[in-house]
This record gives sequence, structure tokens and C-alpha cells, in this order.
Amino acid sequence: MVAWLLVIVETYLFFDVIIPVGPALHSIGVFTAIALLKIGLTFGLGVLWFLVIVSLTEIYERSLERRLTPTPSS
Amino acid sequence: MVAVTPAYLKFLVRRGSVVDDVHKQPPSKVPSPMGPVIFAAAAIGEVIVYLMSGSLVPLAVLGAAAVAFAVGLYDDLSVLGGKVKPILLLFAFVPILACLTLQSDLYTSRLVFPILGATGAHFTIYTLLAVAAFPIVANAFNMMDSFNGEVSGFTILVSLALIVGMVLRSVDEPGFSPARLAATLPLLAVSVGFYAFNRYPSRAFDGNSGSLVLGTMFAALAITSGVEIAAIIAILPSILNSFYILASLRGFVERRQMGSRPTYMTPDGMLHASANPTAPSTLVRLVLLPGPLSEKDLVKNILILTSVTCLLSVLTSVLTWVY
Repeated sequence: MVAWLLVIVETYLFFDVIIPVGPALHSIGVFTAIALLKIGLTFGLGVLWFLVIVSLTEIYERSLERRLTPTPSS
Repeated sequence: MVAVTPAYLKFLVRRGSVVDDVHKQPPSKVPSPMGPVIFAAAAIGEVIVYLMSGSLVPLAVLGAAAVAFAVGLYDDLSVLGGKVKPILLLFAFVPILACLTLQSDLYTSRLVFPILGATGAHFTIYTLLAVAAFPIVANAFNMMDSFNGEVSGFTILVSLALIVGMVLRSVDEPGFSPARLAATLPLLAVSVGFYAFNRYPSRAFDGNSGSLVLGTMFAALAITSGVEIAAIIAILPSILNSFYILASLRGFVERRQMGSRPTYMTPDGMLHASANPTAPSTLVRLVLLPGPLSEKDLVKNILILTSVTCLLSVLTSVLTWVY
């Protein structure tokens, strides 16, 4: 559910923050400074999504790992 | 597929092509791989859709699946490395590009997001994302292939979510080709047929050749039908599973190369989350953290989780195509 909500929120950020930065990519080309900035910001949204999910998972794991019995060596 | 599989399974047993079902006490022998039957059945379905519609979409899907099948079968017969497999799976996009040269509307180079609409069309960026999608999605399906009925049940659910997305898109866009929807039916059909043999207790395993074909077909259908976002939401459990493994092992590692196992089984047949701090994080370990489960209940929990993400996928499709 968090992963899905993040996709929706990041979609909003993508459309309302990143896309308005400079002209459209197809009119300026991919290998210009502004285009690379937009691509980098979009990539950053992906990294943020990944970090939030992995962090939440680690918190969840740590909260439950204390209850685990030691793993048999076999 | 259901008619041919029993004879094929007997052939695999005669050939000695059986693997241990390690989640049974004692481990039972299960014929593997069923990938060739899965691929052949899907291929027949896609060819029929092509002959009936004339659209190249089913052939593009079939071409991508053929590349994944070749990679998977090689991996089944002679093990591929954890890094080589994703690189080879990048080539699954080549048949789609080839079909694009013959049918310009095979896919559109834009992503349509819920509520806010479509991005501008950009062939280079979209194509790079699409190429990268194949190893990610195919490996995500492959990583979900650890327990009886897991990957087959998972594929049934996500195929249904994909079909709902396409139906909603066709309502919004009357020009949406029904061939795209029809091309999804072979994926649903083979996963239902395979589930009959793969459900607990499994009578057949798909092998890498099967799971990579299912994942690649799903990715190809999502791309050619323009329902990528809803497709990603549907398979979130498998995507997250791959990310957990990547993050905890710091790179592409084959299941058989994991140093310590994420789970272990006790003599009563119950599966437990490993308490070993070096054990990789996997979706299965997360599901088992609250307490041990039998294999059947574990798969049931994973499929319930997948059903939730499929409902979110349908909601995403509604927000994209209806809202």
C-alpha cells in the first residue's frame, strides 16, 4: 500500500515539479543540461521510492526479528 | 496443454529430469522443467491470435518470450551466472523493435499515469526503460518461483489485472486494438493450465525456462498495450522481493548462490524465517517473520498479498482510464 501511495505521490511530483522545469525533452534533445537535470530528478524519485521501501522493510524486520528463535545450524 | 503435460512429465521422469522439492519432508522428486510445454502452448495461442487479427502484437510477444525461453532453457540445462542472465534478457526487446519497424503503432513511446495523464512521447527514453524492464520483470517472476503454486497462481492474478487494465483502456479509447487484449489470453490460459500441475503438492516445476517466459510475456504485453503503470502495481510483490534481495545481497545473485538461506524448515514441515543476521531479506522471510507457516499457507498468504496489489492495479487503471 505504501509502495502504491508513493507511486501516486511521485507521479504528482513528476508532473507538477519535474516536467515544468524547462522545455519538453523532445524539443531540446536528451543530451542537454536541462534534459539531463530532468532525467536525473526523475531517477531521484525512483531512488527515493526504493530507499523508503527498503527502510520501512528494515524497520519491520527489526521489530519482529527479536522474537525469532535461533536458526538451526543444519 | 493439460492434455499433453502428463505424457511430457512421464518423458521427463524417464529421462531422469527430476528435481528435489526441498520443502517436503522427506524431499520428493518433481519433474522439471515444464518451460517447453508452457512456451509451446503460449506460442500456439499467440500464433492463433496473429492469424485471426493480423496484428503483429502477438508475434512481438511471442518473439520476446522465445528469447526468454532460450535463456531459461540454457539456464535449466547448464547454469548461467547471476549477472549473465539479466544481460541476455535485455535482448528480449529485439523482436519487439523488429515488429515495430513493420507496425508503427505496436507501442507508443509514452507512459500514461493515473489522474495526471500521459507524458510526452520520447522514443529513446521509453525504449531504454522498456529494454531494462525485461530482465527486471522476468527475474522478478523467476524469484517468485520457490514454492508449490506460487509463480503459477501469481501469474494468473497479475494476468487478470492486466486484462482489466486493457478493458478499461479500450473503454476510454475506442480505437484500442482488441488484438492486444486477445494476446494476453494465452498468458492467462497457460498459467491456469500450469497451475493445475504446479499447485500444492506440485506434480511439475516450470524451471527457469517457464518462469522467464511468463515474466517476459507479461512485460511485453504491458508495453505493447500501454498499461505499464497498472502492470507494475500488480507485480509489486515480486518487484519488491527482487529489490529486497538486491539490497540485502548488494547485487545480482542467483538463488542457489545465496550464502545463508532466508528461511529454514523444521521436521514438522513448518517454514520459519531465519534468525541469521546475514540471511537475505526476501518476501517469503517477511511473510514468515510473524510466525512459522506450512508451505500451503505461505503460498496462500503471498497470493492474498498479490490479490491486494492486483486490486490496487485495477484502481490505478480506473484512475488512469476512467477518472
